[in-house]
Amino acid sequence: MPRPTRPETSVLVRERLAKDANDVDALFVLAAMRTQAGRVDEGLSILDRVLVIDPSYPGAWFFKEKLHRMRGEPDEAASARVRGEAEQA
Amino acid sequence: MSTGHEMIKLKICMAGEAMVGKTSLIRRFVLDEYDDRYTATLGTKITKKRVTVEHPADRRPLDVDLILWDIMGTPTLRDLLKEAYYHGAQGILGVADLTRTETLHELDDWSRSIREVAGDIPTYVVVNKVDLKEQRQLDEAAIQEHCRVRNAPWTYTSAKTGEGVEEAFQGLVGRILRHRD
Repeated sequence: MPRPTRPETSVLVRERLAKDANDVDALFVLAAMRTQAGRVDEGLSILDRVLVIDPSYPGAWFFKEKLHRMRGEPDEAASARVRGEAEQA
Repeated sequence: MSTGHEMIKLKICMAGEAMVGKTSLIRRFVLDEYDDRYTATLGTKITKKRVTVEHPADRRPLDVDLILWDIMGTPTLRDLLKEAYYHGAQGILGVADLTRTETLHELDDWSRSIREVAGDIPTYVVVNKVDLKEQRQLDEAAIQEHCRVRNAPWTYTSAKTGEGVEEAFQGLVGRILRHRD
């Protein structure tokens, strides 16, 4: 019997968002994929959408901190970190 | 429900490649259930479980709220998301698959990424899918040597049958408590 394989992450994201455009897991991973592809602004915009849908989404504030640092925005990064610490407390 | 014992919270991150059984191990540990169908994890899922343990130093009872982070096994996004997932982690349950040799060696990359964020936190290795002995690729000597060099205790588990699952989580909790003292 052939061993099952994990579908490509990009395919999973597409499928999940086709079923539910507000799927936070898929949106979070999409934000990461866009960032990975060098499209940091787009990644941050998608991540902000995640945080509107679920302000407690695991790890999202620390990811936001990282994206603001990548954009050279230390103040926004610091406040995202504070929020991340509070969510995880 | 409070037992009057001292209470602490521990964040544990599951680490390992896709399809090694991270989600199934949590499901077995927390719900004592198993589902044969594979559902890929996207992003992360947090599951909580309270356990009562004896503190290894003085045997006083402790209530431990375990916060289990089930993180998708996608290596290409691992470094980008390491701060998001591993900030504040206190222990690593590294999961390898008995039927895929490479999954043991790839644990090094997962551990490295976690430690870059969380520091030198305790690790416990489980070699999962021990119910699939006829498809075994990892031999015991190789597992022992891998874990000996990295000073990580290990055990076989089966999320399907439940073998070793409780012991693995308890073992990691004990190691974290010793590490904290």
